[in-house]
Amino acid sequence: MWVRQLLLALIGLSAGVTVAGGLFSFVVSLGVVSDFADRTHTAKHILLYETSVALGGILGNIFFIYQISLPVGIGILMLFGMFAGVFVGCWSMALAEILNVFPIFIRRVKILKGIPYIILSIALGKGIGACLFFFQGW
Amino acid sequence: MAITKETIYIKGEQNVEVTKREVTLGDILSIECANVEMIPKIKALKLFKIQDDGKHRYVVSILKIIECIHRQYPNVDIENMGKEDVIITCEDEKTPNKFVHGIKVIGVTMITFVGAAFSIMAFNNDVETTKLFGQIYTLLMGKQSNGFTVLELTYCVGVIVGILIFFNHFGKKKFSVDPTPMEVEMRLYENDIQTTLIENYSRKEKELDVGKATSAGTYRT
Repeated sequence: MWVRQLLLALIGLSAGVTVAGGLFSFVVSLGVVSDFADRTHTAKHILLYETSVALGGILGNIFFIYQISLPVGIGILMLFGMFAGVFVGCWSMALAEILNVFPIFIRRVKILKGIPYIILSIALGKGIGACLFFFQGW
Repeated sequence: MAITKETIYIKGEQNVEVTKREVTLGDILSIECANVEMIPKIKALKLFKIQDDGKHRYVVSILKIIECIHRQYPNVDIENMGKEDVIITCEDEKTPNKFVHGIKVIGVTMITFVGAAFSIMAFNNDVETTKLFGQIYTLLMGKQSNGFTVLELTYCVGVIVGILIFFNHFGKKKFSVDPTPMEVEMRLYENDIQTTLIENYSRKEKELDVGKATSAGTYRT
């Protein structure tokens, strides 16, 4: 019996290491965090941010897997939602940036002016899309 | 005695911050010359003067700097060992606002913490980790999983180990001497910004270069 338990343990451990490597390499390589650090001119605290990402990943995973309930109230929930939203928003745009969506479109369609409006409409579109998604319960 | 030409070696960083209004070559370059007396003289040469207060950014071609040295010392050879363009950012000497800085650091820390937690949960949710674990458990053990098996436990341990190996440090304790992935990413990002700045300035012909009339307060003696 313990051989099977050992096999399970091996699968779990390997899965965890691989998922962590893949997901966090994705987060870091998209440059979301270095972007934050650069915008706020706090690049010298980059190690702190890294620790924060690591801790978030570790705790988030444990809380999800074990479905630990943590009644903290509506205020913390709002903060959580907002911070998660900021992060995902930056992440999705960083993904588009890495994939060269904008340079290619701007070159093809030959848009030279009004790029700020395009960015604004992307942001609004994403926001409205997210609202629609939640309110319609899709 | 034949006049031997002095050779001056100059090396500039790509990005320099100055606080003085008068930018001298010593502020932006490291200089080496066989004739030791020359070094302080070259260092004291004024490149340009920034007239008004506030934040300014200049991109200076190394040719402009060579011209500046040649104007004073026409008989020297100059070897550039550094970059071809130097970004000079002039900022007022200011006391950084500790409070605002602290708020920013806390803000980014919170966003990255919550963001990372959200990402891993979204990932687990997306690939239905719990369901998959149940299936693997049934496959191996031949009975239903109650959701709290050795599989979940080792997965959590695995995620912790993976993250720590990937980031190569926890808190201030580093596991090896290599820079962490985020430090590397930060440098790459800075390099991109600098290249973009130089190319922007050069395209708009705002770079301080030889043979161009520029609006910046160039020293003409």
